[in-house]
Amino acid sequence: MAVPPVRRRRRASLVAVAAVFLAPALISLIVLRLAPAAVALWESLFRESFLRGGTVFVGFENYADLFGNADFNNALLVTLVFSAIVNPLQIAVSFLLAVLYTRKAAGAKVWRSLVVLPIAVPPAVSAVVWSVIYRPDGLGNSFLDLLGLPAQPFLTSPQQSLASIMVLLSWIGVGYWMLFLIAGINDVPNELYEAASIDGASAWRKLWSVTFPLVRRPLAFVLVADTVSNFLIFAPVQILTKGGPSGSSNLLMYDIYTRAYTLGDLSKAQAEVIILVILTLAVVALQFRLLRSSDAA
Amino acid sequence: MSTVAAAKASGRRSVGYIALSVLGACVGLLFLIPLWWTFVNSLRPGGDTFRYLNPLQWETFFTLTPSLDNYAELLRSNLGLAMLNSIFVSAATVVIGLVICSMAAFALAAIPFRGSGAVFVVVVVSFLIPFDAIAIPLADLFRDWNLQNTYAGLILPGLGNGMAIFLLRTFFLAIPKDLVEAGRLDGLGWWGTFRRIYLPLSVPSLIGAGLTLFLFQWQSYVWPLLNGTDEQHILGPIALSNLQGQFNVDYGVMFAGSIVLTVIPLAIIIGFQRYFIQSVTTTGLK
Repeated sequence: MAVPPVRRRRRASLVAVAAVFLAPALISLIVLRLAPAAVALWESLFRESFLRGGTVFVGFENYADLFGNADFNNALLVTLVFSAIVNPLQIAVSFLLAVLYTRKAAGAKVWRSLVVLPIAVPPAVSAVVWSVIYRPDGLGNSFLDLLGLPAQPFLTSPQQSLASIMVLLSWIGVGYWMLFLIAGINDVPNELYEAASIDGASAWRKLWSVTFPLVRRPLAFVLVADTVSNFLIFAPVQILTKGGPSGSSNLLMYDIYTRAYTLGDLSKAQAEVIILVILTLAVVALQFRLLRSSDAA
Repeated sequence: MSTVAAAKASGRRSVGYIALSVLGACVGLLFLIPLWWTFVNSLRPGGDTFRYLNPLQWETFFTLTPSLDNYAELLRSNLGLAMLNSIFVSAATVVIGLVICSMAAFALAAIPFRGSGAVFVVVVVSFLIPFDAIAIPLADLFRDWNLQNTYAGLILPGLGNGMAIFLLRTFFLAIPKDLVEAGRLDGLGWWGTFRRIYLPLSVPSLIGAGLTLFLFQWQSYVWPLLNGTDEQHILGPIALSNLQGQFNVDYGVMFAGSIVLTVIPLAIIIGFQRYFIQSVTTTGLK
């Protein structure tokens, strides 16, 4: 069946019009997002050759080398431990705060906006401010002193550096995630609570059986978005700890940066970029699957 | 009997009310402390930063002799130039980025062309790949293209924003096709339909998308660190973090810089609060 020439021409002209409107965005997305990912993937399969000059194809050798490298394995482990702690922690805190600030209480809106305030602080700025708070003679230890607790080393201790970064990240992030959950909680119809009250449900029971299931969708979004953003943490590590002490806060993004610029091993850094992207996408896909199957239940 | 129970219940409620208010206030103030302390220290000489810290006292959080000296000093220092760079780069990103993203969103929402599904997939995939993760390979490409340490190099990566395109497309889809038909009958071309019908009807979502573009650029750290480190093109966050760890830091100026870098986005978020919350919630629930 041949398409009549007039219609074919109209269709072709629609494509041309659309192409004009789309060109700047498409070019920028392809050149600045997709191409570098493709370049990283391609270059991760090569290695600089000192004998012949230029590069030689080495297949997956860069990847094999990374997984045999103690520093990389440590960075991977630190990143996974960090994600396993910081994501549930931030989501639990933002959920509890969202519940707290949607209850009837004096000044709830004012106090809530104080929690939201830090989201305006750029990550580099918050890292700089907290570097002063975490100094041995800084604000952090003055508060501990007020509570009668001994001074802590914070960033200079291998046991505390990662936790210190988690606290500062939560200070910035929790208010942002809370906004999504507050929107979700406000969407829960009031009748459901009234019905639960008539059934004699306790406040805790209402929270668990009414609020929690009904904010699952915003909660799912927050979980995925929070996980992605925490995989990409860089500024606080670079500004506060430089991955130390002794690799205790060496998250993958920072490890890639040092591999590329301090060690100058660009092809292995590209391989590590690919690993980070795959790891991020895999965790997102896994979370989507889990959330979907729990939706069906 | 029932009145006693009611009184008891309302008594419990008011106890709960007070407890919740106090708890809410404590948590809110706890979150405020780092920023407030930064603000107070930006109003006193850098030498006094650690003076009132141990033990904690009222002067830790208040000063009776506030001065703007640090802010004046900021204007004279390199940090001031870095702030101006940040403002310029973010403003250019918002203006150019809005044009580019809204045109693309219009094509995806209003023009029925073959292959629009495929284009949409490219948009979605491009925002699934986190920008920071590919910043290092991209910086390598920018070096080959001689875009390092140029304003173009700083601005370009912020322009095509998959999230902004997605937001605008969702909004554009809700505009009735009848309006477009009517416009076309009156002799409007596609560009006229876009300029005269879609854009004026979409100001709220344009503001939301503009905020997305602005915050991306204002808060970025990895990219300007890789791509713009010479004195002329350095951005605020990089200049500020360069101060940290130096031997002779003027903490007063550093805190003043922190406050400026925070107050600008804060003012914009508060000014466009309605659209900010809207764009936050629509991205979360869709």
